[in-house]
Amino acid sequence: MAKNDLMTRNLMLDSLRQYAKNRISFNLLREHDAKNEIPLDILKEMYDHDILGVHLLLIPEEYGGLGGQTTEIYRICEQLARIDLGIATGVFATFLGSDPLNVGGTPEQKAKWFTKIAQENKLVAYGATEADAGSDLVSLRTRAEHVVQNGRVVGYKITGSKMWISNGGVADIYTVLALAPGGPSWFIVERGTPGFTQDVHEDKHGIRLSNTAGLAFDEVYVPAENLIGLKEGQGFLQAQAVFGYTRLMVAAFGLGGGEEAVETALEYAGQRIQAGGPLSQKQGFMLKLITPHYIRFEAARAYIDWTAKQLEVNNHGLATEGAIAKLYATESGNKAAEDAIQAMGGFGYTKEFAVEKIKRDVKITCIYEGTSEVLEMTIFRGRWQEHLKSRGQYYINQAAEFDALHAQNPQVGADSVALGLRALARVLEDCRANKLTRHQYVTFMLGDLISEMEVAAVFVRQCANKIVTEGSRFDLATLCTMARINARQSAFKTASEGLRLVLGTCPAIDTAQVSQAVNLVAIEDKMRGLIDDMDTVSAKLRDIFKK
Amino acid sequence: MHIIVCIKQVPDSTQVKVDPKTGTLIRAGVPSILNPYDHFALEKALEIKAKTGAKVTVLSMGPQQAVAVLRLALALGADEGVLLSSRAFAGSDTWATAYALATAVKHIGSFDLVLCGQMAIDGDTAQTGPEMAYHLHIPQITFCESIDANGNTVVVKKLIEGGHQILQADLPVLVTMTMPHDYVAKYPSFMAAHKAQDKIIRTWTETDIGADPHKLGLEGSPTRVDRIFPPPTRAKGEVYSGSAVELANKFVEILKKERVIK
Ligand SMILES: Cc1cc2nc3c(=O)[nH]c(=O)nc-3n(C[C@H](O)[C@H](O)[C@H](O)COP(=O)(O)OP(=O)(O)OC[C@H]3O[C@@H](n4cnc5c(N)ncnc54)[C@H](O)[C@@H]3O)c2cc1C
Ligand SMILES: Cc1cc2nc3c(=O)[nH]c(=O)nc-3n(C[C@H](O)[C@H](O)[C@H](O)COP(=O)(O)OP(=O)(O)OC[C@H]3O[C@@H](n4cnc5c(N)ncnc54)[C@H](O)[C@@H]3O)c2cc1C
Repeated sequence: MAKNDLMTRNLMLDSLRQYAKNRISFNLLREHDAKNEIPLDILKEMYDHDILGVHLLLIPEEYGGLGGQTTEIYRICEQLARIDLGIATGVFATFLGSDPLNVGGTPEQKAKWFTKIAQENKLVAYGATEADAGSDLVSLRTRAEHVVQNGRVVGYKITGSKMWISNGGVADIYTVLALAPGGPSWFIVERGTPGFTQDVHEDKHGIRLSNTAGLAFDEVYVPAENLIGLKEGQGFLQAQAVFGYTRLMVAAFGLGGGEEAVETALEYAGQRIQAGGPLSQKQGFMLKLITPHYIRFEAARAYIDWTAKQLEVNNHGLATEGAIAKLYATESGNKAAEDAIQAMGGFGYTKEFAVEKIKRDVKITCIYEGTSEVLEMTIFRGRWQEHLKSRGQYYINQAAEFDALHAQNPQVGADSVALGLRALARVLEDCRANKLTRHQYVTFMLGDLISEMEVAAVFVRQCANKIVTEGSRFDLATLCTMARINARQSAFKTASEGLRLVLGTCPAIDTAQVSQAVNLVAIEDKMRGLIDDMDTVSAKLRDIFKK
Repeated sequence: MHIIVCIKQVPDSTQVKVDPKTGTLIRAGVPSILNPYDHFALEKALEIKAKTGAKVTVLSMGPQQAVAVLRLALALGADEGVLLSSRAFAGSDTWATAYALATAVKHIGSFDLVLCGQMAIDGDTAQTGPEMAYHLHIPQITFCESIDANGNTVVVKKLIEGGHQILQADLPVLVTMTMPHDYVAKYPSFMAAHKAQDKIIRTWTETDIGADPHKLGLEGSPTRVDRIFPPPTRAKGEVYSGSAVELANKFVEILKKERVIK
């Protein structure tokens, strides 16, 4: 059967939207949120083959699934997040829990477990985190000991505990990371296995509709065939192989959550009359609280989609790109939700409106699947290697591509991207020459600047190539204006932050020389017309979201 | 039995605005949907299919992107789709549209029942169905809320002022469907959406169906649109709730404030 085409994706999204519209009211969400309850019936319905069957997306076709491509999975994730991030997490945990199997499982293991998940609509959980092993999984303590019969390893006894596992209290199938004699490995453990217990549901700040629970293993016996890949010591490799992909999905969560919050605020602003007119007509209100977020969302969308398309070709890997997508989109979504409350004033702060809940919910996207700081380190490491390998030419070479794009299409901000990339290359080189990356803070900030510039670059390139990212509600002209604004701001941030870092850690360096090298003046010069461009975007927003 | 359902792609009317300057519809950025009446008619056809094993063909005229509503219909269970699409059809009024659709129905060949929606939520004329019946030389029953069919006859519930009629007709017949107020449209599961990719959608032009080009498009359209304008917006009413006494007091207060009474 053919891969799903765009029309099929849109059909699936429509079905999901319509299901949510008919079945998941704001009141239902609010009540469950207040009572800290899981809408398990909703999850079951979403898995029901005749209603939606969302989980089939992650199951390869040969095992009765849909073999969903990265693009449709991220778009479904975005839509799920717009509905509720707790429900989204419940669905995502099944995706995540199945991933070690997907990358590491033998054909027999895949056939057995995927068929079971597909046909019996099983909820899956992914158990990696422990009390002392969060970002630092190497400190893993849960152990899997050999059970030997007649000189053969026939099974494992797992002992230890896991913390904060999504679907932990409600899943049927668990993929659990444990330290086997041959190293960290994934095991499949079924609910009901003797010695395996689940803790109570956590009382959390947000995503309260998602079950989160600890797991305890007391000499839990699993047969050797439940070791994923039938080979010990592959656990970290299997986990890392899908980071590019799983982080892209959480990026879509950040995007969806943020969009939902700001859209609620914008609709409100169209009706809220203050000082003689609707708030959405007030320039400062829009430019401070609404418009910048839409620009970042479209940049994030372009980047996520571009990465998804790359992943469809490469299958796995792209860990740096996945990290960039997640860092950028989730931090943008989180800030947007915060401003959505501000934009709605007192109403935003009450539980009458969704934004207050979204703000609590979306924060998790900056924490799970790699905290923002861990991602900054990952991004830094990935690109630092490139910088060193290319003798500082990595971003300079890319800048040349944007010079050429600017010559073809001067309207999309390719000139600013070129300046920003050169500034970035310069800052990286100053950091190398002066050994500034011994400061952990510098590595974090470099990770952030790298993600800022790479997202800006992809957004501009997509616009220059006249690509309107699927799922975007804007026309190409508006997207070009957005890309141009975004490129200028990212270049400015890169140059000025870069200067701050270099001068802040290396007092001996000559200020005028560094400042000239990042060419801040040229970047500042690109700011002409910036506010007009932002007003244009505001006008478009009013148009599109007018009730 | 072969049922042909005519389905139209329409802009989601809750989101369409009229440009006050040009008097045209602003469709940019407005998502398209399957006309809800047609969605209902399709579901009724699929119910008949489930009972009798009838074949269901969906037919739409529109630009290339209208293929999306055919795909939706196939995902919901229709067997085949036909899209009428070419420049020649553009600008057709209801008369020309009905001629084109009827010609396509004849070209499809054998059919027993043609189902249409009562009206399209964008054009709102409710003329296409009846005009098709004329072109096809078959009887019609309009404004039906339910329908049941076997190989030879249909039984429908037709709404009329203050009540309804139960009517029976021999096949072939054309029926236009209205929908109950509480109608919630069905959408396909992910798997159904996926499988619909393998079903056949044919795209036909006026030459394929042997239509007379003079009867299509602007040339074939006797009606001309003078202008389109949004109805004047009225100030929002206010809703009060409370006991009868509270409400009566509230009204007196308002009437006094508005200086209607003293
Ligand atoms: C609601 C929820 C659901 C979850 N679901 C799952 C799940 O399904 N499966 C699963 O396995 N896990 C799950 N987790 C765990 C989640 O992935 C971890 O919380 C996350 O990886 C961070 O680990 P930690 O909480 O131990 O924080 P820590 O690693 O202790 O981090 C605390 C802070 O220190 C920073 N930090 C960490 N390391 C460094 C360093 N080297 N240098 C400088 N700063 C550092 C972090 O960025 C963070 O700001 C879930 C967590 C929550 C809250
Ligand atoms: C004078 C005039 C000029 C027009 N010019 C244009 C133009 O230039 N461009 C343009 O896009 N539109 C134009 N239209 C609109 C177009 O002709 C109508 O939308 C179309 O004829 C259907 O009429 P309606 O929307 O009122 O549908 P109704 O008659 O209200 O629809 C009843 C039912 O007929 C069926 N049906 C209607 N249309 C279709 C279809 N296309 N495919 C399949 N089934 C269908 C459906 O089952 C529907 O529920 C014009 C209309 C008029 C009156």
